[in-house]
Amino acid sequence: MKTVASFEIKYQQYLDPEGKLTQKKLPKFAENHDELLKMYRMMSFVRVFDTKSIALQRTGQLGTYASCLGHEATHVGIGAAMKAEDAFFPMYREYGTQFWRGVKPHEVLLFWGGDERGNNFSGPAHDFAWAVPIATQFHHAAGAALAFKLRGEKRVAVSVIGDGGTSQGDFYESLNAAGAYQLPAVFVISNNKWAISVPLSAQTACETLAQKAIAGGFEGIQVDGNDIVAVRDIMEYALHKARSGKGPTLVEALTYRISDHTTADDATRYRGKDEVEDAKKKEPLIRIRKYLMDIGVWDQKKEDKLLAECTAQMDAEVKLYKDAGKPPIESMFDHMFANLPESLVAQRAAAAAEGQQHG
Amino acid sequence: MKTFNLPDLGEGLQEAEIVNWHVKEGDVVKVDQPLLSVETAKAVVDVPSPWAGKILKLHGKAGDIMPTHTALVDFDIEGGNAPAMKSAAKVTSVAPVQSKSQPIAEDSGTVVGNMPTGNELVTETAIIRKKQKQGPVHVKALPSVRILAKQLGVDLATCQATGKNDTITADDVRAAASGTRDVQGRTSAAAGRMPAAAWDLPPARTDINYGVAEPLRGPRRAMHASMTRARNEVMECTLFDDADIHNWAPGQDITVRIIRAIVAGCRAEPELNTWYDGDKLERTLHERVDVAMAVDTPDGLIVPVLRDAGRKNAQQLRVDLNRIKETTRNRTVTPADMKDATITLSNFGMMAGRYATPVVVPPQVAILGTGGLRHDVVPVLGGVEVHKRVPLSITFDHRCITGGTACRWLAAVISDLQKAH
Amino acid sequence: MAKVAMVEAITQGLAYELEHDPAVVVLGEDVGVNGGVFRATSGLQQRFGKQRVMDTPLAEALIAGMSIGMAAMGMKPVAEIQFSGFIYPAVDQMINHAGRLRTRTRGRLHVPMVLRAPSGGGIHAPEHHSESNEALFAHMPGIRTVMPSSPARAYGLLLAAIRDPDPVVFLEPTRLYRMNKQDVEDNGEALPLDTCFVLREGEDVTLVSWGAMIHETLQAAAKFAEQSVACEVIDLATISPIDFETILESVEKTGRLVIIHEAPRNCGVGAEVAATVAEKAIYALKAPIERVTGYDIPMPLFKLEHDYMPSVERVMQGIRKVLEA
Repeated sequence: MKTVASFEIKYQQYLDPEGKLTQKKLPKFAENHDELLKMYRMMSFVRVFDTKSIALQRTGQLGTYASCLGHEATHVGIGAAMKAEDAFFPMYREYGTQFWRGVKPHEVLLFWGGDERGNNFSGPAHDFAWAVPIATQFHHAAGAALAFKLRGEKRVAVSVIGDGGTSQGDFYESLNAAGAYQLPAVFVISNNKWAISVPLSAQTACETLAQKAIAGGFEGIQVDGNDIVAVRDIMEYALHKARSGKGPTLVEALTYRISDHTTADDATRYRGKDEVEDAKKKEPLIRIRKYLMDIGVWDQKKEDKLLAECTAQMDAEVKLYKDAGKPPIESMFDHMFANLPESLVAQRAAAAAEGQQHG
Repeated sequence: MKTFNLPDLGEGLQEAEIVNWHVKEGDVVKVDQPLLSVETAKAVVDVPSPWAGKILKLHGKAGDIMPTHTALVDFDIEGGNAPAMKSAAKVTSVAPVQSKSQPIAEDSGTVVGNMPTGNELVTETAIIRKKQKQGPVHVKALPSVRILAKQLGVDLATCQATGKNDTITADDVRAAASGTRDVQGRTSAAAGRMPAAAWDLPPARTDINYGVAEPLRGPRRAMHASMTRARNEVMECTLFDDADIHNWAPGQDITVRIIRAIVAGCRAEPELNTWYDGDKLERTLHERVDVAMAVDTPDGLIVPVLRDAGRKNAQQLRVDLNRIKETTRNRTVTPADMKDATITLSNFGMMAGRYATPVVVPPQVAILGTGGLRHDVVPVLGGVEVHKRVPLSITFDHRCITGGTACRWLAAVISDLQKAH
Repeated sequence: MAKVAMVEAITQGLAYELEHDPAVVVLGEDVGVNGGVFRATSGLQQRFGKQRVMDTPLAEALIAGMSIGMAAMGMKPVAEIQFSGFIYPAVDQMINHAGRLRTRTRGRLHVPMVLRAPSGGGIHAPEHHSESNEALFAHMPGIRTVMPSSPARAYGLLLAAIRDPDPVVFLEPTRLYRMNKQDVEDNGEALPLDTCFVLREGEDVTLVSWGAMIHETLQAAAKFAEQSVACEVIDLATISPIDFETILESVEKTGRLVIIHEAPRNCGVGAEVAATVAEKAIYALKAPIERVTGYDIPMPLFKLEHDYMPSVERVMQGIRKVLEA
């Protein structure tokens, strides 16, 4: 038999876990130290946010929360490469991307705190809210990308999914459509090796997840998801490609879920300590911090100052979250339809009256 | 003798044309042996024999059009009972090899099944009753009470209703049956009737829930919010004047002219086409004129925006105005349609009112109110004439607009409005 | 004025909106060159081009999910699901996102989409092509469900559905697609949603139905008229939310109610009508409420299809029951 098609998947990395460069030439943005510092600051804030959020949950002040510990480079790298006019379709962990794009930390807390007002972003007007049903967000990104293409807008739809999500039908359907329509979209797999308790090895027989792009008829690239420089570099490449009308890309960011799946999960039940400790040594903040220190633009004093600033910023956001109070009961009804049907008008009044009685 | 009728060849076709016979009278045939080819609206098709036997009679010749389910072939079935003829015989193949060229397949309009197709023209009436609040009063009684009334031979219409919500109770029925109470017409509702009107006034409207506290919703809520904000923030000052349009060329669209005049005003004095932030003490002047059109609807005041009025000609403005009217009528105006106006027009004159002090909607700084067209007596060169005039009222926010600026804006509006074209 | 069958009225409505609203896009399987398997989109791609009338890959969840993404970005997608029997993969997107996005984001994002599908049996079709699943959608918050019963209402309600800023599931009775014709003026006038239509007035019994069953219901009413029983026939038209104002006013007048639907009985939309009428108008009732429905079984293959679907005789039996109570 002759070979009628074959594929190859490329892998990108600039910084190794020790913060040493693995390539001589850096992408343009990485030569700008202010830009690197901006991204490092955001990664640090995300770390502070995450730690505090877990603490809030453990003290009964926040509902179930999905930690992003270890994913900071993947998330901030996506956000930093996107333009304001692009649209982002998260799953439920990408706070780094969202903060970069203008979502407020207290809005994230409101969502996990059981309050829809958190989804009413004051920042990015067209970004979607968190998508709990796995992989459903990829369809929304495909639809938005189609709208951009039909209207001739130079905007890109970006969506993130986990390694587990790549087993879902919606994942394949969206990739297929993105390829068939040549949509201006970038699909990112945040491959953190675990889908709750199911390891990647049990999830799929594929050597890489990036190769699932081949089934969609377009390019798949792997990137070291803990290397902020590599993530942003590949994202900029994929976004530019999409914006120029050259179609979609699947980016697989290799990282690790250092924390539990959510605060309702206990990962010690299904994975060993050694693996987690090993991952902690390779986590994304270490390498970029070391690199910045090596090139002389960062030091311990600056680090301490940054930590204090992030903590203060987070405290202010926590206060906003706590001060939000309970939303008015009528708000359950007020946004069901542009034209509220009679039956809901009556139910709204009944619910409000009920609420007044019980305080 | 058994007769084979032309089967339904699928999809409800009514007839088929005999193309040619593959057998003749007297032939002995086997089951499934092709008997003839027929042409339907869709294709040429072979019809196989349902039975084994001798062909006694062929009921048509090549070229004949045979209706479905009519006699096609008479058989002499050999030996015993023939299997019952199924009413939907299977067609085994579509025959491609005929000397005739393939007919153009008629579109059946479906990929599956057999859709009933008819050309009957239906007329119907379809009445919408929703929105009527009051209808005739009917007798209210629980089913069990009705059964009792039936058993006792009591007409419910003769019972006095003493139950909750004017319902007739079982006791009411028994009372009526035994005649211990005066029979009174149940429809009297005498206690609740309004006293006879002293003046010749129309009756009170019956489509309103009097005496019931109703929560505000939709546009009324929005109006409450925006008017409260206006009251709290804006320093309102209103100028009144008239535009004399007696020399207009005929056939002009007055709303379009008013919008054009607003644009003319904003070109002369863009300060009135501005967003003002009273907290930050900042103002943003706009080049583009997006006019909010105040529309009165049964649900309350809504304000859809006519965008970029300065770059549209009369026809385009009229198209936009019609669309606004339609979406308002359909209640399909969206919040996006009502956002980010730079100035507002309140054309209230169709009903009553000459001048007004319309309310500025922050962050806008100006609103133009146009009253009803009037025929006014005006002095002209020492005499008097009757001229058609448009009363104008411009309220502006004196926190950031000076009286002089507003006057100059109004002068530009009047100047444009008074042009013949 | 054009004399059109229901499916042609739908094409007319789609064409009107495609022409007058640049945000409208039609998408689905085989809707382009083929014009849809029932020809509902016939000629539209030729007239409006591939950017406005688009074929999609074979994936129902994709069709609904992409429509949500497009709608949230300001377009008005009118998506076709080829048969309501294949709509189930799309239900995930409809119930989890289409019906929720507006309230989830407190109005920041919303979904002005329409999902159309042929619905109901009686066309001798293979398995799964004859489903009646309107109750499924009626139970979903945030979604409107609409089912026309005449070419004129198909046109007017489709325009309303497309113009409505929130999601509408528009189920088209396949059996009525070409059953007859009606004068439908192509004037762009929408009919109101959330509103019933009274197709026949009468004081003796109220008949509430929707979709293809309107046909049998009107026939039964005509037969009863010969016996001097005046039936009032109400077409629900908007399956959810229901216009109870019209229904209650009618029941107050007649005191008798029969609900007719093709879909299975258990937890069908008839149950909602019956419960609400019992709740709000029990004092007006002279007989128990009667439902004439399909059985609680899957739609059988077509040999038994007409034994499953309520016939005119079954509808008349239901009416007799409430008259004799």
